Amino acid sequence: MHQLLLSPYHHRSSPVHRFPAIGKVAGAVTLVFTVVLLPRTAWAAYGACGAALVLIAALSRIPARRLAKKLLLLEPFVLGVAALSLLQPGGTLVFLSMLAKSTLCLCSIVLLSSTTRFSDVLRVLWRLGVPPLLVTSLALMYRYLSLLVDEAARMHRARRSRTFSPGRVLAWRSSATVAAHLFVRSSERAERVYAAMCARGWRT
Amino acid sequence: MRPGVEDVNALEVRALRYRYPDGTAALQGVSLCVAEGERVALVGPNGAGKSTLLLHLNGLLPEHPSGAPAVHVFGTPVAEPHLPAIRAQVGLLFQDPDDQLFCPTVWEDVAFGPQQLGFREPGLSERVSRALAQVGLGGFEDRLPQHLSRGEKRRVCLAGVLACDARLLALDEPTSDLDPRGRRELKALLHSLPVAQIIATHDLELVVETCQRVIVLDGGAIVAEGPPAEVLSDEVRMLEHGLEKPHILRHRHPH
Amino acid sequence: MHIPDGFVDGKTALAAGALAAAGLGVALRNVRRSFPPRRVPLIGLAAAFVFAAQMLNFPVAGGTSGHLIGAVLAAVLLGPSAAVLVMGTVLILQCFMFADGGVTALGANIFNMALVAPGVGYAVFAVVRRIAGGSRRSLLLATAFASWCSTVAAAIACAGQLAVSGTVAWGVALPAMAGVHMLIGIGEAVITTLVIAAVAGLRPELLRESAPPEGRLRYAELAAYGLLVALGLAVFVAPFASGRPDGLEQVAAALGFEATAARAPLLAAPLPEYVVPGLGSGVSSTVIAGSVGTLLAFGLAYLLARLLTPPGAAGRRGPPHGGAPRASAAA
Repeated sequence: MHQLLLSPYHHRSSPVHRFPAIGKVAGAVTLVFTVVLLPRTAWAAYGACGAALVLIAALSRIPARRLAKKLLLLEPFVLGVAALSLLQPGGTLVFLSMLAKSTLCLCSIVLLSSTTRFSDVLRVLWRLGVPPLLVTSLALMYRYLSLLVDEAARMHRARRSRTFSPGRVLAWRSSATVAAHLFVRSSERAERVYAAMCARGWRT
Repeated sequence: MRPGVEDVNALEVRALRYRYPDGTAALQGVSLCVAEGERVALVGPNGAGKSTLLLHLNGLLPEHPSGAPAVHVFGTPVAEPHLPAIRAQVGLLFQDPDDQLFCPTVWEDVAFGPQQLGFREPGLSERVSRALAQVGLGGFEDRLPQHLSRGEKRRVCLAGVLACDARLLALDEPTSDLDPRGRRELKALLHSLPVAQIIATHDLELVVETCQRVIVLDGGAIVAEGPPAEVLSDEVRMLEHGLEKPHILRHRHPH
Repeated sequence: MHIPDGFVDGKTALAAGALAAAGLGVALRNVRRSFPPRRVPLIGLAAAFVFAAQMLNFPVAGGTSGHLIGAVLAAVLLGPSAAVLVMGTVLILQCFMFADGGVTALGANIFNMALVAPGVGYAVFAVVRRIAGGSRRSLLLATAFASWCSTVAAAIACAGQLAVSGTVAWGVALPAMAGVHMLIGIGEAVITTLVIAAVAGLRPELLRESAPPEGRLRYAELAAYGLLVALGLAVFVAPFASGRPDGLEQVAAALGFEATAARAPLLAAPLPEYVVPGLGSGVSSTVIAGSVGTLLAFGLAYLLARLLTPPGAAGRRGPPHGGAPRASAAA
């Protein structure tokens, strides 16, 4: 289950997948900014953007159901915040335009992350001059995320098999202990990673 | 100890001592050498100091060097200002390949070492491909480390040091968590590499099958040294140092 | 409270983006200067840790559930500047790979959760530590209260951004956001404190490594963040406060949104318990209710700290003894 969560990239051989990462990132970001800066009632423009996204989605050969599922996972939050806008004069218009804009932007990013490897996105960020420390942190985070989740799952399983009458308080404390162990392990691993970097010639 | 003649030894350690920050003695005057192209095993119970010893081979330890360096690699002392060159020549493989495979893709990880040495395109990609082919992972460039098997991860780490033209491999428990097939593949790989190797391991069968010499370490000191068949057959001594006579030697018929 | 795209308008996104970039810049500089090189990979790994922690959700009144932000968790474990980078890293990954938080809202999200939350949180933490001493109990008290404050502060900034963008009226945004997050903040305080208590029990030296130098707050470090947070609050929140001095009104006029300063009465519907009976203006009602809430939160934090302090550790005071970290080599 967490594999779906942690690897949004869905491999297919399509023109969209093959398109250079910098183009995809630039395209997605441009589309998002355009949509956000459009006036509230630019419904025709929203429609045009939507059509473009549908076209790209089709070209990408990613199953429509998969894209729809990802979108549905994210929509409720958008709806929730948007609902607050209803509580003001002229709110319905604001609400609808919020919904349109957010959905278009969500689609854009979902398509981007499904067709572009994160390592390629990182390379784009590097080339754009994002500070190396930030790029390295992003890379390490992405690399060790699944390992961390696996360790957490394993520890939880171990604890559950030793708990016979789980009270709520005990469960919370047990989760906190697991989290603490995970952090301590991460801290130790960080030092070993640093040693490994030095072992391969890294100089600070 | 084999005396070096005209050839310089790949590794020479002379009276190496080391204490942990909390004061416990880890290494008590260890001396050994590894000749060029030789495969030497380092065995001993947990806590003997094997990993600590390996960390001295490329200068990761001691944290605060003082006095004359006790370790020499191909004649060069393992100390500043030689450390960058040393670290290119000594390929240290850690116990947990996940600690060493820290880059987002296999290609980037294998390219990491050469990049630190100053290699750039187009030679860089060639180096990476060659190293991956050498370990039997040609075509793995775009794979993500988190999706590789344990054995594949170890081989990528190996490719990473081979890409730097390492001349001495220091391996910490290379077969510890491999399945039988992974173990066989790694063993064959180590056999095929002509470079000098020092392998810290619990896998005594591996020692007998691949290494020309074995050094037994216990409590931070060397307690035995010699050809594997000889040293590991001494059952009494093996048990004394928390080891045992490997099965492969139990059923050998003298020819 | 990841703001999606479309909820923050152009000028707000720009202002927040500038503040976020400045804040990240300060953090990067501080980390490069004073964070030990051998711990640098921990920033990335801690980001993975916080990301995983953010996936935890807990029920909050009224069918909603709250999520951990993790800013104070990161700040106590790694120090304020590293925490800013950790939170920034998490938010950037979430934005681009998981569409959690909009691209145009990234500046605002970073400002709220990677600057305000750790900045305000760590400042509160440091002050409480200073006042309450160096004991384990004071650590937990400081952590709990700081976590609550960080959540509420971030929520207020978020409400300000939504209101300034014209998405949600201030009179609705503040009670909705700040109100709910006063409850969510309790969850954050509980979880953060439990984890810090567990780490303190396992490896107290890990916490000492990130502690400020003996007896001194890292004033210079916190001052920069404080300035940025204050600027942000001036831009996003101050226009809505009533009876403020002329200087801020000038800022509002200069930025062109003084017309949106809310005179709208607080609606009866959303959270009636945040209206103090007898007070007309919704904002001052909330402020008073907020103060009461703050005192309640402090009280709860104290209770929590008492419950979690192991027997005997409560009374220890004075400077923690230095312990050198073990060599990472395993024999």
